[in-house]
Amino acid sequence: MAASARRVPVEERLFSLVLALLATEQGLTKAEILSTVSGYATRFEVAADRANLERQFERDKEELRELGVPLETVDATGAEGDTKLQRYRIPRSRYQLPDDIVFSPEEYAMLTLAAQVWREGSLSTDSRRALTKLQSLGVRLDDAVIGFAPSIRTRDAAHEPLTAATDRGQQVTFPYLKPGQTAAAHRTVSPLALVFHEGRWHLHGHDDRVDARRTFLLRRIVGPVSLTGSPATARPTADEPARVLDELAALWRSTVATVRVRPGSEADVVMRNRPGTDEAEAGLQVHATDLDILADELAAFGADVQVIAPPSLRNAVRLRWEKLVQTHG
Amino acid sequence: MANRPAPLKAQDKLAFLLALVPYLIDQVRVTVDVAAAHFATTPDEMRKAVMLIAMSGTPGADGTYTHETLFDIDWDDFEQRDLIRFRAAPMEDKPRFSSREAAALLAGLQRVAARPEFAARVDIVELMSKLARGATGAPAPFAVRAGELAAIQATLVDAVTARRRVRIDYVTTRGERKVREVDPMSFDGVDDAWYLRGWCLTRDAERTFLLDRMASAELLGPAEVHETAGDSDELFQGASTDERVTLSMPLAGLPLIADYRGPSDPVRIEGDRAIVTLRIAHWGILGRIAARLAGGVEIIEPVSARLAVADWARAALAAHGDETDRDADDATDDATGSNSV
Repeated sequence: MAASARRVPVEERLFSLVLALLATEQGLTKAEILSTVSGYATRFEVAADRANLERQFERDKEELRELGVPLETVDATGAEGDTKLQRYRIPRSRYQLPDDIVFSPEEYAMLTLAAQVWREGSLSTDSRRALTKLQSLGVRLDDAVIGFAPSIRTRDAAHEPLTAATDRGQQVTFPYLKPGQTAAAHRTVSPLALVFHEGRWHLHGHDDRVDARRTFLLRRIVGPVSLTGSPATARPTADEPARVLDELAALWRSTVATVRVRPGSEADVVMRNRPGTDEAEAGLQVHATDLDILADELAAFGADVQVIAPPSLRNAVRLRWEKLVQTHG
Repeated sequence: MANRPAPLKAQDKLAFLLALVPYLIDQVRVTVDVAAAHFATTPDEMRKAVMLIAMSGTPGADGTYTHETLFDIDWDDFEQRDLIRFRAAPMEDKPRFSSREAAALLAGLQRVAARPEFAARVDIVELMSKLARGATGAPAPFAVRAGELAAIQATLVDAVTARRRVRIDYVTTRGERKVREVDPMSFDGVDDAWYLRGWCLTRDAERTFLLDRMASAELLGPAEVHETAGDSDELFQGASTDERVTLSMPLAGLPLIADYRGPSDPVRIEGDRAIVTLRIAHWGILGRIAARLAGGVEIIEPVSARLAVADWARAALAAHGDETDRDADDATDDATGSNSV
């Protein structure tokens, strides 16, 4: 393998790196890795390539960590922080799936279905890789019909950068169009959880400018999400996502609009099919997390819908129609 | 809507190699075809992967790759009988999940956990704890609220599984009520919306029905099988008779009208506005699109569409009564409370 000049594919170099770092107890220094591991070694002999190779190694380490490979850096005793003397290794005990983790065919079928929930975007990449790793266990899928999976889209452009920043504990900044305002404002946030509630993705985080927790709708993040370069000021607790979901559910239960619909109309059918809708004398009692979004949905029904309460929702719906008359009249 | 997998990156290929090694070793002896089927790949890709593994290894104590530190396969079996059998392997560990991989499956599980056919056979709490223990780090903080099963939904699930014809009372986007008999083909949930796709016997054609628009659904006798030409991933198809409408909207709003846009509908970016041409079945849909974007849409052409939207909005205002109180609080500050923005 040594002196062949062929270009080694990226996955082969990464594979060799994993094998080399798994095999070493005390770890390998960067120089040892670059001069011996297949994929680096042939290029190491060309001095002009050395700096590129070091940068390549930095990116490779990041790629392995993203894939869940527990790559450790060990400082040499008495030389803390000296990158030349640091050693790298992958401890087998942290790399290896514990032996007692096995899945029955039913569990495997359910995990396959769970992976299919994500059909696009970063979560589909993550779940596809998870399925590949599950296949290492060799569980055979029953012939039983898997049936129909409910899917969730992660079509908001903010999803991937927010997931990555949360994973790495990084602070982010993004332009946010607060409902009821016409211009976006930049927010600086330490992300804590991404939750899917009532058909929409929400980011919960610590807003570092106002020093308080806030929940943002991903669809209202109207520009790129960038890293500020600072670490997040807060880190999620284990129950964070569940707690945020509970809060949103409580908000949904307590936010009620009263709406009259023309009997038999589309508005009538759709509003009755909405989870939680009740009939009262004053009109249908409709639940929502965000009245501004409910205003968008109600305004779409035009003359078939009449908002009774709250007054703010009445106004929001009217304003949408008035704007259309002004623009097109 | 189409389900297009992203091209495989080096990380995907690495995950495949890391998973493939322990699988092949556990199998002891396996044909290329069986291994390829297990990993849902082609026999050719499987052969390539096995060759790559067979030439890999670990640098020995002196930093060189030698026979003792390389993977070794039975080359006769491999080349002559398409069989994979390892004779030596410097690594055979099954890889853990990354935090994000575990989180993606955990959140997906929250979504499907409500399904009755699993509830009886799988201990979901136990399954989730195994996944979390199988990750390198704490799972990334995602959560998904389990969708509730409405009565109509349960009926349609039954119809698809048992291949039964259904009669639905449906309201169209034109606001017309129709009773339709449908032989179901699939029932798909996308975000919080559910779609029944099937053969409409009234129309004698394949149609897609949105669950939200069904006033009721009842099971009838057995469904028949119909010849379809359809691409099952494409839920929305414009008809050739549809009108073309060009509108100007905020660029940021484009994802919000994704389900009205066909794959070939043109879009032009002008500053922070997007100029989009859509195919619209009838003018009534325009008001809906415009309202969905909080009124921030201008129809550019045709003129008849501009007039139709203005009339639609005037009629809505007239039916609603009273004047707008411009001093009232905007809707959202009420709605989201102190913890949200």
